[in-house]
Amino acid sequence: MKISYFALLRTATNKTQEEWTRPAATVRDLLRDLVAEYGPAFARWIWKDDELSGFAIVLVDGHDIRSRQGLDTPLTPDSEVFIFPPLAGG
Amino acid sequence: MGMMLMIHPDKCTGCRNCELACSMEHEGDFRPKSSRVHVYTWEREAFSVPMMCQQCKDAACAAVCVPKAMARNPVTGQVELNAAKCIGCKMCVQACPFGCVSWDLLTAQILKCDTCDGDPACAEICPTHALEWVEDTLSAQARKRAFASKLKNAFAEV
Amino acid sequence: MHGWMGRILRVDLTSGKIATEALNPRLARDYIGARGLGTRIMYDEVDPKVDPLSPENKLIFVAGPMTGTFAPSTGRFDVVTKGPLTGTIAASNSGGAWGPELKYAGYDVLILEGRSPKPVYLWIDNDKVAIRDAAHLWGKDVMETTEQLNAETAGDAKVACIGPAGEHMALIASIMNDMQRAAGRSGVGAVMGSKNLKAVAVRGSNAVTVADKAAFLAAVTRASTMIKEHPVGGTGLRLYGTDVLVNILNSVGGLPTGNFQDGCFATADKVGGEALAATQLQRPRGCFACIISCGRGTKVTNPKYKGEGEGPEYETAWGFGPDCRIDDLDAVTKANYLCNEYGLDTISMASTVACAMELYERGIITLKDTEGLELPFGNADAMVEAVRLTGRGEGFGRMLALGSYRMASHYGHPELSMTVKKQEMPAYDPRAVQGIGLNYATTNRGGCHVRGYTISPEILGVPVKVDKDSIDGKPELVALFQNLTAAIDSSGSCLFTTFGIGAPEYAELMTALTGVPYTADGFVAAGERIFNLERLWNLKAGLSAKDDTLPPRMLEEPIRSGPSKGAVSRLPEMLPLYYGVRGWDAEGVPTKEKLATLELA
Repeated sequence: MKISYFALLRTATNKTQEEWTRPAATVRDLLRDLVAEYGPAFARWIWKDDELSGFAIVLVDGHDIRSRQGLDTPLTPDSEVFIFPPLAGG
Repeated sequence: MGMMLMIHPDKCTGCRNCELACSMEHEGDFRPKSSRVHVYTWEREAFSVPMMCQQCKDAACAAVCVPKAMARNPVTGQVELNAAKCIGCKMCVQACPFGCVSWDLLTAQILKCDTCDGDPACAEICPTHALEWVEDTLSAQARKRAFASKLKNAFAEV
Repeated sequence: MHGWMGRILRVDLTSGKIATEALNPRLARDYIGARGLGTRIMYDEVDPKVDPLSPENKLIFVAGPMTGTFAPSTGRFDVVTKGPLTGTIAASNSGGAWGPELKYAGYDVLILEGRSPKPVYLWIDNDKVAIRDAAHLWGKDVMETTEQLNAETAGDAKVACIGPAGEHMALIASIMNDMQRAAGRSGVGAVMGSKNLKAVAVRGSNAVTVADKAAFLAAVTRASTMIKEHPVGGTGLRLYGTDVLVNILNSVGGLPTGNFQDGCFATADKVGGEALAATQLQRPRGCFACIISCGRGTKVTNPKYKGEGEGPEYETAWGFGPDCRIDDLDAVTKANYLCNEYGLDTISMASTVACAMELYERGIITLKDTEGLELPFGNADAMVEAVRLTGRGEGFGRMLALGSYRMASHYGHPELSMTVKKQEMPAYDPRAVQGIGLNYATTNRGGCHVRGYTISPEILGVPVKVDKDSIDGKPELVALFQNLTAAIDSSGSCLFTTFGIGAPEYAELMTALTGVPYTADGFVAAGERIFNLERLWNLKAGLSAKDDTLPPRMLEEPIRSGPSKGAVSRLPEMLPLYYGVRGWDAEGVPTKEKLATLELA
């Protein structure tokens, strides 16, 4: 599973992207694992009370999970996941 | 130990909210020409510096003031203007080496930062904390520490 | 009056006559200020069929009631005129510090009429207004002009000026203020050049007053807190600037690439906000009274593209980057600096270069046409040189200065110009984001994103997430955004305050400031009134429903690759619904009933 990080999440993880090998059935499972891996510096931008915090954007294969099944959106080992903290406009 | 208005020009965005807060606080409307703080911007380099009275210990403005309207308060460390005694001669405007006293023709008064009696409106409104109301002995510590850590990092790499 | 200064300054550049008049409080109430008030004045005083570059066109600089106060991020003003690029009513919005200074000088509005027989600048020093010779400034770039004017008027004067591009009447010329901010779109710089007006310098020592101080201060505190607590308005924009959008648009396949041939670009990250922050960013900058600080103070040290200043913004980075298939951030930022120096709209400039690149790659234009400039996609040096030539009005730059529509038409291929109403579309692919496409097609100044920024809900999920590929509810959404934006644009407030506050907060600020009671609904209704007035102007100027469209590529050529592969714009389905939502007939003409409701009949 390939995960790409943007904006402040790059600072929090010290990566722009990575090959994530631990299996995750849904986006919720994946995010819980990432929060455990990278701690509060990562979590504060996107995770609150076991839910995605407002305005954070998660894409699976280029599609916003809010247009799919939200955090229950399923993942496969070939999924490409993009995670953005709250962003901008203009 | 007293308080001081610390200026961090590297954090200044040039927004001039400080000028607006100052004029609203002192004059009740939005008139930057009556502000006691002014921001100077170099547009080519996109750099700005806010300037206000530095509350000097050996204040030139107090030294030249004939009616002793301008005088240093030893308790607060602020140079205070007693408007009732001021004769509007503008010698203080001539004397200040920083240019931080001005004369406002419209309201016929001397304009000089009074730190809003210890609760400066400019520091309150500044969106990036480029103006900070801090204890004077600790005021430079954040900056000292920031550069100290650069030195630490340089050594850590060897 | 409170908020408003209550005065209009009118200058006839032909005769040199200078006069002031009172601002009608009823007009101020109904049209608010800036974009709305300027449009009302144009509607009342100028024939919509006027030639934009003739002395009969007027050029209006107009601030909003909130301009000059510390209502959060409200330092803005508009330049309103008939746009030479589009033939529509044009209102270009700008930040910086110029607008507030006009208010402090005692004026809400500056109306410039006629044409000066020789180059001049206007010097407004409170009540003292003078037209001065500008022969020594003509030909100078924006930075030199500003510095020279500060030397010969006052160190604290604020300067709005044109660069060489406006002097040459490039149809994509901007008016720059405070060196780095732009009233960019629709060719407003060419109108200023056509009047032989190089600059307006202004300094003021008056006050903007408040009707209900306690209520205003409380409203400001509330609004500021809401903006600061919003992750975008409070943090995101200050850290990364608008350029952070490159990666998000690319990731959903909606980043127009290669003159809108495609929707994603493999190396987009190299010109995104993260890359900018890591390499060129020096410090964030903010316009007058701003608490968001989205401005980018930057520097390029690479000797090939050396420079410093402000920018690039998202649209600029997109345009000189992925739209031209370029991923060299130094070249992109250099192009941005050149646009600021010469006074050019970055969106139209970049998209015009991208169009030229497509014409070149297809063999429609050759090295002979470009006078030796090799213009395939991806050639960063040529892109930068193209901007320089356009700014100077030399070589192929003379053709680029017309904008992509007239250039592409000249070579027989108008369909390769990515424009609506002859104005270049910005950095969101309408095939990948349905609502923004409807906005591009219907917004009154042509291809424009800011006037109905449905990207917020469609991509960012602000205030709530809507499906970008669906057309359900999009006509209503676009109309609502367009109405609210028209009101916000007229108040002097920056649009980025919408990352935090909404109509209720604007109404509260306006009421406390001016003493005129505004409700949330009334504020939006004023915006609807302004939008419809712009529509009436355009209809009288000769535009019609057939101009509410998108380039054929958006309707017929699916996106080639990426997550939005296969998508086209469903504009034809949305447009009739949009007319219905707006209360217009099938030809897009506002009905008598609608005009009566808006008090426009």
